[in-house]
Amino acid sequence: MTEAIQNVANPQIEVKDLNLWYGDKQALKNVSIQIPKNSVTAFIGPSGCGKSTFIRCLNRMNDLIKSCRIEGEVSIEGKDIYGPGVDVVDLRKQVGMVFQKPNPFPMSIYDNIAYGPRIHGVNKKDLEGVVEHALRSAALWDEISDRIRSPAFSLSGGQQQRLCIARTMAVKPEIILFDEPCSALDPISTAKIEELIMNLKKDYTIVIVTHNMQQAARISDHTAFFLMGELIEFGKTRQIFENPGEKSTEDYITGRFG
Amino acid sequence: MGLNAKTSERIAFAFLTLAALTVAGFVLFILYYIVSNGYNAISIEFLTEMPRKMMTEGGIYPAIVGTIYLIIGSMLVALPMGILAAIYLTEYAGQNRTTWAIEMAINNLAGTPSVVFGLFGLAMFVKYLGFGPSLLSASLTLGLLIIPVIIRSSEEALLAVPPEYREASLALGISKWQTIRHVVLPASIPGIVTGSILSIGRVAGETAPILLTGAAYFLPRLPDSVYSQFMALPYHLFVLATAGTNIAQTRPLQYGTALVLLMIVLAVNFVAVLVRRYYRQKLKI
Repeated sequence: MTEAIQNVANPQIEVKDLNLWYGDKQALKNVSIQIPKNSVTAFIGPSGCGKSTFIRCLNRMNDLIKSCRIEGEVSIEGKDIYGPGVDVVDLRKQVGMVFQKPNPFPMSIYDNIAYGPRIHGVNKKDLEGVVEHALRSAALWDEISDRIRSPAFSLSGGQQQRLCIARTMAVKPEIILFDEPCSALDPISTAKIEELIMNLKKDYTIVIVTHNMQQAARISDHTAFFLMGELIEFGKTRQIFENPGEKSTEDYITGRFG
Repeated sequence: MGLNAKTSERIAFAFLTLAALTVAGFVLFILYYIVSNGYNAISIEFLTEMPRKMMTEGGIYPAIVGTIYLIIGSMLVALPMGILAAIYLTEYAGQNRTTWAIEMAINNLAGTPSVVFGLFGLAMFVKYLGFGPSLLSASLTLGLLIIPVIIRSSEEALLAVPPEYREASLALGISKWQTIRHVVLPASIPGIVTGSILSIGRVAGETAPILLTGAAYFLPRLPDSVYSQFMALPYHLFVLATAGTNIAQTRPLQYGTALVLLMIVLAVNFVAVLVRRYYRQKLKI
């Protein structure tokens, strides 16, 4: 099994011996993994297993937590993102993130999308095109094109989450991290987001944390199983679900715990 | 023995209601008293003319204008400094000694009697910096007086902005300062406005600090620059009621002045409430 972990074709993200502590409590233990480009990689595991903590290492969102300490190496396209001279702001432009709860800004739909590009210096006359393109890519344009000036909070939860995806895409990242993006949504909205994610992988590398094993099975190419801060198993999704190599993986996906 | 739950509930409810009604009752009584006594003094002449005959006749126009200038001046001093300090304390300051010292200083400032601010203003602005007794010295002094209030309420407003907004913005590769400027600050404006409403009432009503830094006993003209002395409503009221030429004769003028002061504070508050509502609407919170 270990061999399969080591040899992913075309890796974009490489993590070596990653350890992370919140104060005294170790949340990640010696995690090593390679995440392939232009594919969907899902992280599953019970609550508190470290899967969310792990993806927050990939865009350094954990930097915001004062007690958090990190050892090990995380490289994106060969560049150590924790190395000296790395600009976190640039990193987060390259690695976007969609959160568990839809979190649009208290602005209009248009301004939500335009916010990032505008601050990154896209000029006024190109902005409308950028916004429309992002909304189309997030499969939201047809539903809301007649009211893009109305407040983002007037959208349904599922639409808000697609708006957040569009907002992320508008700054043109290469990688998009999804932290349980459907956990606050109804099944129909969830299905739309899943379809969207599968379409996005031709343009982006997708990393998704999910509580929902069926979701991982439906949309991902590779799956990683975390337990108590350790990466237990990683491989092709089919293989993980049909023929897991570890007893605890099997126990989890067959619903014996979690 | 003990009271059963229902009885004690009823007694507690009665006391709480009584306390709330007492407070409301006093406020209403004061309002009624001032309005009913001051109502007759109010006229166009009273509001737009200079005082005459050693303030026993005529209007209070320069005092009205002086008070409005003071509100504007002290807000120009206190709002930027207070909001910037609050941003520093909530968003940037670490848990260390410097922060602790700053917090302590703010708490102490908030508890300092206003006459001490007046003396400080006299020593610092009037004498040392040479601004003289003036609108400038008084505005700076009042500005310092209300900075703790502005900092505290701005801090609360900033902390009330959901962390999800910050996360969302940072995750887009937006720097911390840009995030504060474009997301956090706009979302906290309703709260900051609420805080400044409170301090406007304070500025309009303070007497001791301006008495020492620039308010004139009697000055029947408007200030023509920030270095001019000025009249102000609370000090005018104090003069009429204590040191005036004829206390009994000016009694209607005193009530009238109090009423005008009250109305100015209410009017400014009303505008501030409109501003707050406008931003809330815009934010759709």
